[in-house]
Amino acid sequence: MRKKLLSMLMCMCLTAALLAGCGSKEDTTASKSADTETAEETTEASNGGYALVTKAAGNPYNEKMAEGFSDVIKELTGTDAIIKHPQAATADAQIEVINSLISQGVSSICIAANDENALQAVLEDAMNAGIKVSCLDSKTNSDSRMTFVNQAGTKEIGTTLMEAILDITGGEGQFAILSATSQATNQNAWIDAMKEAMETDDKYSKLELVEVAYGDDEPQKSTDQTQALLSNYPDLKVICAPTTVGIAAAAKVLQDQKSKVKLTGLGLPSEMAEYIGDDDAHSCPYMYLWNPIDVGRLGAYVSSALVNGEITGAAGESFTAGDMGDYEVVDAGDGGTEVILGAPFKFDPSNIEEWKTVY
Amino acid sequence: MAGKSGRTISNTPDKSLKSRLLCWESMMILLFILVNVLCICISPTYNIRNVFREMPKYLIEMFLLFPMAYILVLGDIDISVGAIVCLSATMASIATNNGVPFLVAAVIAIVVGMLCGLVNGCILTMFTELPPMIVTLATQIIFFGIAEIALGSGGSISLTDTAGYKAISAKIGMVPVVFFVVIVFAVIFTVILSRTTFGRNVYAIGSNRVAAYYSGVPVQRIRLLIFTATGLMAGICALFLTSILYGANTTTGKGFEMDAIAMAVFGGISTSGGKGRLLGGIISGFTIVCLRIGLGQINMHPQLILIILGILLIAAVLVPNISMAFTKKKTA
Amino acid sequence: MKDKKSILGKITASREASLMIVLIILCFVIQMRNSSFLTPSSIGEMLKNNAVIMVMTLGMLNVLLLGGIDISIASTLALSGMSVGMLIKRGIVTNTFLCFMIAILIGAVCGAIVGLTISKGRVLPIIATMGFMYIFRGAAYMVSSDEWAGADALGSFKDFALNSVLGINNIIWIVIVCYAIFFIVMKWTKVGRMVYAVGSNREATMISGIRADRVEFFVYLIMGILSGLAGAMAVTVYASAQPNMMYAKEMDVIAACVIGGVSTTGGRGSVGGALIGALIIAIIAKALPLVGIDAIAQNTVKGLIILVVIVLNVVTQRTMDKNVLKGREM
Repeated sequence: MRKKLLSMLMCMCLTAALLAGCGSKEDTTASKSADTETAEETTEASNGGYALVTKAAGNPYNEKMAEGFSDVIKELTGTDAIIKHPQAATADAQIEVINSLISQGVSSICIAANDENALQAVLEDAMNAGIKVSCLDSKTNSDSRMTFVNQAGTKEIGTTLMEAILDITGGEGQFAILSATSQATNQNAWIDAMKEAMETDDKYSKLELVEVAYGDDEPQKSTDQTQALLSNYPDLKVICAPTTVGIAAAAKVLQDQKSKVKLTGLGLPSEMAEYIGDDDAHSCPYMYLWNPIDVGRLGAYVSSALVNGEITGAAGESFTAGDMGDYEVVDAGDGGTEVILGAPFKFDPSNIEEWKTVY
Repeated sequence: MAGKSGRTISNTPDKSLKSRLLCWESMMILLFILVNVLCICISPTYNIRNVFREMPKYLIEMFLLFPMAYILVLGDIDISVGAIVCLSATMASIATNNGVPFLVAAVIAIVVGMLCGLVNGCILTMFTELPPMIVTLATQIIFFGIAEIALGSGGSISLTDTAGYKAISAKIGMVPVVFFVVIVFAVIFTVILSRTTFGRNVYAIGSNRVAAYYSGVPVQRIRLLIFTATGLMAGICALFLTSILYGANTTTGKGFEMDAIAMAVFGGISTSGGKGRLLGGIISGFTIVCLRIGLGQINMHPQLILIILGILLIAAVLVPNISMAFTKKKTA
Repeated sequence: MKDKKSILGKITASREASLMIVLIILCFVIQMRNSSFLTPSSIGEMLKNNAVIMVMTLGMLNVLLLGGIDISIASTLALSGMSVGMLIKRGIVTNTFLCFMIAILIGAVCGAIVGLTISKGRVLPIIATMGFMYIFRGAAYMVSSDEWAGADALGSFKDFALNSVLGINNIIWIVIVCYAIFFIVMKWTKVGRMVYAVGSNREATMISGIRADRVEFFVYLIMGILSGLAGAMAVTVYASAQPNMMYAKEMDVIAACVIGGVSTTGGRGSVGGALIGALIIAIIAKALPLVGIDAIAQNTVKGLIILVVIVLNVVTQRTMDKNVLKGREM
């Protein structure tokens, strides 16, 4: 009898716990983020909706991109965009997210891919279901996308960074690269572009790339790697870090040690404002990035153009991206097409104060 | 470890204990139904077609749940399974891209998994003093590391020939093939654990390893076998994962071990060994899968989903404990 | 008989001594490969970069001594660190000391919740802390509201990790003070003895009148406090607060303890051992890029070293036990 009572009690408690859990989550989401509401609205409308899948949650770069995307979608359609973050920064987690979006019957998916090839099967499913798939920030292979919103030409980033290194070293000397992880698609493409620039252009012949180190986008490991670079190569002149976490960690190490080694690369102004300056007290003379808000906005215009049938993602087509002007779809060189946002933007002491509050 | 109170094993399970265990499973079923009702209420797109379509990605983690349940019942833990999945998937993909037929690649995936499991098992049975958590942590780092080396600087490999893999990610009607495979394995593993001498031995080891040893149970041989079987299942998991990913990369399988452990624990399998039944784990596995699909469809923030899972995990153990203490006090 | 023990016997009889030898060999080999390793500045950098793990190792030592485990610590760290980072960014708190206090308080609250669930709710430590691992990490994301607190936003707080007293960096001072306190408490006070007692034989200590559940609560509380402190330290050392910071680093902390000879079943381990374990982990992280191992193979080597060290531990333990038995036969 007692056991029966007990078991019933257990059942009730667990049910209550579950309900409480679900209830509380509904409150928090409703108050916290607008995307949940959005989702409910769009799903109630049963069909349609523009979705953006980011690389991971909790990253201001992705957040700014999402902001630009939502603004444009709101302006164009009057509805809110669906912003989906995967549970972890892996392709595995993005598959779950895309599957969920297919179920919801969205009309377009714009994705910043965590792996170039792993999403092929699920994105092909999405395209078969009539969803317009485009990439932004970080591309998938050409079979699994209609077009790709490239923040800046890969080759252009490569040469820009090499120019910066050439300028800071004064024309000759050793430099090293501090990258994210060994499989980071973007970073690998940019590093390859840098190496290619070194091979093809004679003016870089006196520069020597001593090592490509990987900081895994962890502050601790990036710090260890930077310190190792400094002690392994006493003649090192420049470190180039084309990743936001890596460049901040390296900048801190160099600035704290008052090292003569200088830094450049790609970083967020808000994270790097402290380290940018022309004098010896600052470790980074200047660095580059593009505007993530604009990347998101262009992504939204591309999604909309794909859904409206203005473009199909073939090379040679062009469309108007609101006040951003006209853009053309060009061949990306990997069998697919891309839309290039523009040249990377230079952040130096003269404009960093202005930009650090923006993103 | 002291304080192993409340852990009983007897030849003739006494009636009240049995009814209580039965209740845990029936409660899980109740919860499963509840979760589904909830999902249908909150998400208009939550229907059987969509659930089956989204399920394979989650279902493949169930391959790890079955052996993990055995390992937890033994009182051990294995946190290297995710890394084994990564390594097997990598090797199978490399083999396929070198022109090896699909069936051979499948065998390679399974053998690589088994070898990894064997390494874990050998270390743990040769040095029985070593805590399984740390050993498998070290092997986790090593297996991921080997996969990283094999994948090279790109860190990612894409299948050039997907024919065989497409066959195992196909669907029969609207039900994916992997669903049937999971059910078959679920039946096999459940029957072995609950209906055979081997299964009883596993419980005996988990309840009291020394006593089991002195009563003639080949403790270390069983542990070795189970760790190897875990590797084997990780290999199978890798094969199905490859069929979804069309390749492998260095983050493949990351975090699978925690998902598998969470499913088992939520299903009433104790991490200190000797307690719990696989059936509960399987039902809880499906419950978690449905909950995640449902919450995913209303576009909830992924971290909030994890918070809810965390609360459920603790509540599943805490609530019965508190209510038990309460009733004890009342009757005392 | 005891006096005649050979030097070798003495060394193998003490776990710390044998670990010390491993440590010295490691240092020696690395020094041969790269002479910049054993310089004061390099060692200072290493300690500073691993201070967070070293501090948390102390808490984990206590948890393991009790036969428990805590895998929620990296999430607690993220929650406290992220909260402090956002408070400074929003300009609510600017005083460095106050920031540390707030971080410790948040850690203490987290630790208390974990401790209550485990000691009063009788939930197994691994399950409880696994749940809280998700919950606290999720809370850190909620606190961050998808922002980071960068160097510019952190104002004077980040200077704490740059300044030094008596030539030793503030962060390293915190580590030294923590280790000194724990060394004294664990060795010579009643509280320390109680932790060992409960870990060795819970029932016996309960019969002898020690409230085992209170000791258990206390240990998780301490773990939470140290994690909270580590959160503030991580923010000032790296001048950056991110919700995913130190993700999965709890495993490094547990590994440091086990390498240092702490038994995961409770009752065995020492502050000295934990220190050496944490140092070995720190040296591995610091040295792998220094000795010129290919970047892509570094993780594998790290795993292998951990495996070898813990197997060595077992082998020395076995010789120790054998020696003790031999002594008895005499």
